[in-house]
Amino acid sequence: MEGEGPGSTPPAIQTEGLTKHYGSVRALNALSIEVRVGEIFGFLGPNGSGKSTTIRTLLGYLHATAGRARVLGLDVERESVEIRRKTGYLPGGIALYGSLSGADALEYLSELQGQPATRRNELCERLQLSTSDLRRRIRDYSRGMRQKLGVIQALQHDPELAILDEPTEGLDPLMQHAFYGILEDMRAAGRTIFFSSHVLPEVERVCDRVAIIRAGELMALQTVDDLLARRKRRITLRWRGAAPDLSFVPGLADLQVRGDRATATLAGEVGPFVRAVASPALEDLTIEPASLEEAFLEFYADGEGPGHVPREMGSAQPSEEPR
Amino acid sequence: MSGVLLVRVWRFASTRLVIVTLATLVWGWLLLFFYSQFSEAIRQLAVQSPIFKQFTNFGSGNLFTISGAITLGTQHPLVIALIGIFAVGGAALAIAGERQAGTLEVLLARPLPRRSYLLTQLVAILAMVALLVAALLSGMAIGAVTQGLTGELDLARFPLMWLNGLLLWGAFTSFSLAVSASFDRPGPAIGLSLAFLLVNYFLEILGSFWTDAKWTQEYSLFHHFQSGEILAGKADPADFVLLLAVVLVPLGYALWIFPRRDLAAPA
Repeated sequence: MEGEGPGSTPPAIQTEGLTKHYGSVRALNALSIEVRVGEIFGFLGPNGSGKSTTIRTLLGYLHATAGRARVLGLDVERESVEIRRKTGYLPGGIALYGSLSGADALEYLSELQGQPATRRNELCERLQLSTSDLRRRIRDYSRGMRQKLGVIQALQHDPELAILDEPTEGLDPLMQHAFYGILEDMRAAGRTIFFSSHVLPEVERVCDRVAIIRAGELMALQTVDDLLARRKRRITLRWRGAAPDLSFVPGLADLQVRGDRATATLAGEVGPFVRAVASPALEDLTIEPASLEEAFLEFYADGEGPGHVPREMGSAQPSEEPR
Repeated sequence: MSGVLLVRVWRFASTRLVIVTLATLVWGWLLLFFYSQFSEAIRQLAVQSPIFKQFTNFGSGNLFTISGAITLGTQHPLVIALIGIFAVGGAALAIAGERQAGTLEVLLARPLPRRSYLLTQLVAILAMVALLVAALLSGMAIGAVTQGLTGELDLARFPLMWLNGLLLWGAFTSFSLAVSASFDRPGPAIGLSLAFLLVNYFLEILGSFWTDAKWTQEYSLFHHFQSGEILAGKADPADFVLLLAVVLVPLGYALWIFPRRDLAAPA
């Protein structure tokens, strides 16, 4: 596999042609991604796109039909136990023993992990799970509290790699903020985070790079900045008097002019556009920031299958540019 | 094997285990009490009515001798139900139940090999079964002592009887665990395990009630737990070997299939 020279640190996750079929159903089709050590990697896709299948294959719950995968330099088929020793995993919609108290559940899972829970107290504090909360039985927990417990059980032993499936599901905005802080601190400490999410603003906010998959195939693998830079931005312009002819302005599309107001979409760099429209008559200019949501939706627009990937995104050979 | 998991499985089952152990102990004692108090009256009834006599031959046991009473006690539906809670119910839920609940997902995220998980569950449940069989025989031994029946019994043969009982229930445990390792939902796992138990029981009881169908008993695992023969000093090593084989074959299958199975996300 690429990226493993002698003496070099292996990628945190590396898949090569990873394929998983359930009978005639292709859950994952030749997925090749590489997650670097020390980055926060977002894994995006709608329900049924293959996110969970990928995660479950990486952790040894599923066996790949074809292809290979390595986690922290270890083979997922042959060295799964060692991978799980170095990894923290938060399953989507985590289920814990309702009859146990939160503290007992964390202790039990820590003992099974075989490593001291060095970060448990700090995480409980940051996620505001008090001692009295931890004494209560899990069956009495709210959904948000269960999710907090799920996050803590995954990270309490300070794993080298955290694999988190929909980690902020059920967390209130305050706790989401605290969670992002935890992720950023982990990244600063050289830990790697691989997480799947439907919440695109959070991916945009915390991730260094994202992979987008659809129907088991990789649609894009890029830095968030690069992904956003290629998105079209919505712009609105207003002039004193009638709007001038804008057809010559580079990168503009979907232009609509109504009296003194014009709206359009802008692709590419903002600079040439601003220079082109700058005039004393221009009274107002609004450029809405490109959002990951728009980029994401673009991949899932009607009629676009994995075979119709926008060229710049590169389905077969995803483009990768440093942030 | 995981000591942490073993302790936790026992802790989860502790309350139920204490209750069932006490019930089994009391049942063992009660049986010897009934034998000492009513065996003569039942014998008289049996002499008067051949049909009644036929019905007193429940399984391989009867109420006319102390060894027959003990055999009957070990094959009574109440004991089957009590021990079956763990040997069949517990084993059938050990994997499929945890799968459906989603808790297996969390456990297997730890550095715990699937085979280790399976073997730990097997050892934990077998230990419970061993305790229950011991409680049953202890109850009988206490009953024999309190009813003054020790002269009719050789208590030194109880350990061999315990081993035979453990192998019988170990076979059901092993089968149920193998079924559990093969399904994602507890329904089919419990259904198949229970069916295996009931078919074996049916074959044993059918042969005991109906002379023409006596041959069916040979095909029942229960027929290979012969307390009466052991107490009479006529234990057949073939019974032990056969039961051990039925423990090992499903276990071997479970150890083969469980690590190879895909564990999709719980519904």
